[in-house]
Amino acid sequence: MILNGVEIRDSFAEAFPMVGTRLIITADTPKWAMIAAKTMTGFATSVIGCGCEAGVEREIPAEETPDGRPGVSTLIFAMDYNSLKAVVPNRIGQCVLTSPTSACYAGMEGGKPVSIGKALRYFGDGWQIAKNVDGKRIWRIPVMEGEFVCDHESGTVTGVGGGNILILGTSRREALEAAEVAAEAMAKTPGCILPFPGGIVRSGSKVGSKYKGMFASSNNAYCPTLRAQGPTALPPEVASVMEIVIDGVSEKAVSDCTRAGIEALVKLGRDKGVVAIDAGNYGGNLGPFHFKLREIMA
Amino acid sequence: MTGLVLTPRGEFEARVDLSCVLPSAEGDLEKLKIGYGAARAELGELFELSGAPDGRLTIEGGGAQLDRVGAGLSSGEIVVKGDVGAQLGLRQTGGVIVVKGSAGDYAASELSGGKIAVAGDVGARLGAAGDGAKRGMSGGVVVVGGSAGARAGERLRGGVVLIEGDAAEGAGTSMIAGTLAVMGKLGRNAGRGMKRGTLFVSAPEGLAAGFGDAGEHDLVMLRVLARRSHELAHLFAGRTRARRFAGDLTIGGKGEALVLANKVSASG
Repeated sequence: MILNGVEIRDSFAEAFPMVGTRLIITADTPKWAMIAAKTMTGFATSVIGCGCEAGVEREIPAEETPDGRPGVSTLIFAMDYNSLKAVVPNRIGQCVLTSPTSACYAGMEGGKPVSIGKALRYFGDGWQIAKNVDGKRIWRIPVMEGEFVCDHESGTVTGVGGGNILILGTSRREALEAAEVAAEAMAKTPGCILPFPGGIVRSGSKVGSKYKGMFASSNNAYCPTLRAQGPTALPPEVASVMEIVIDGVSEKAVSDCTRAGIEALVKLGRDKGVVAIDAGNYGGNLGPFHFKLREIMA
Repeated sequence: MTGLVLTPRGEFEARVDLSCVLPSAEGDLEKLKIGYGAARAELGELFELSGAPDGRLTIEGGGAQLDRVGAGLSSGEIVVKGDVGAQLGLRQTGGVIVVKGSAGDYAASELSGGKIAVAGDVGARLGAAGDGAKRGMSGGVVVVGGSAGARAGERLRGGVVLIEGDAAEGAGTSMIAGTLAVMGKLGRNAGRGMKRGTLFVSAPEGLAAGFGDAGEHDLVMLRVLARRSHELAHLFAGRTRARRFAGDLTIGGKGEALVLANKVSASG
């Protein structure tokens, strides 16, 4: 399949079930809501080394947030419920509770709950105040700046992690510029995050390594400088590859996000240096979700 | 559909105990024995019954002698087109009671769920602990359109009590938790012995001596209540600031009285 000069390879992204939650972070200004959200979702690119994958889903206008202040919706995913249960209060406690003027609310209901105020209230050292508002428990924790307000807990959902596309470009600059355009389009998909820096990962990995104890290592088949040293997936005109990884609250969200990225790249076309779009997988035997690029674009 | 309708056959000569007359009542209701003064009477002797139980009970024209209306209610709706006596909604766990007149003492006593709305005034000890009980209302919502008698919210343990009018002496006495909002004037000694919980008031006059002024603050919680609390939202529309009084400090209490500031757009 070739669209606007861009080859859509007959490949698929292989993805896994992950357990996730949505948290709504608000603050007095959009700037501080975003600072808290970015800090809380920092160092959360891959479960391989971070224990979770997290990112900003979207900015929320003040009139849509639980306290009428500017907000940011974030998603956090982990491989299982117990992992998520551990990372969520830690991240909120260190990054949102500490961030000036912030508040933190549940962004979803249902599923097994993860703690917000249920765990963080103890920071109040006995001065914390609980309120039951229309059946939901909410906490006020006195802090030096005023009060930190948060919901008791948030719901969880079994989502999909590890959706991805690979962008094969004619140069490093063109591959990055194309990836930026794709990431911007993909970030608009509701229910999805792109957990890597700016949504883009330049060091996509394969499973395993020649070294013991390494679970993942550089995906040498897609490394342009190794073209002469073994099997390569890259045609001669490709000089750089960027990957965009997608985690979403549902299979449809990841599929929609994948399509948004491919459409944006196809719109750029071969003239802007996009040679081909590929996807990372493990042969189809590890992950239950397969996002076939050509089917998504059919 | 109005469900079961009770219309008094005339003036009552003694107090009437309606505690077993609920929207879910079954059987021959005409013969249902209810307390009438020191004796018992059949429901049909005192009320004309019409309609059929369908989860809703209407009492046409109430009376201050009608005690324990909706006591133990767990679901359904009771509408009283008049006044009621003491212990309205005693130990109610769910459902809705609407009283279009006024209610007597101990309304919503030990309520743990559901909602009670009284258009007029209520007597003493609204939402308080009943005889022999240690704790008052622990959940649910009570909205009083008029004023409340002495010790409204005494030993309140949870839930929301909103009094649109005044509250007499001792509102929120020994409150354990929960929320008591008084939009009118406070009688003296409000919040005396308060352990935890929140009093929302329009002015600090009347607060017990054990309350300490913690200053005026922009409280994010008020913004949340303005959006999430069905009953209290209107109090906080346009209000983000309150003056916080902590108390009752004479007993080491960690409760608070929040005096709502005028509606302004100031922040900080």
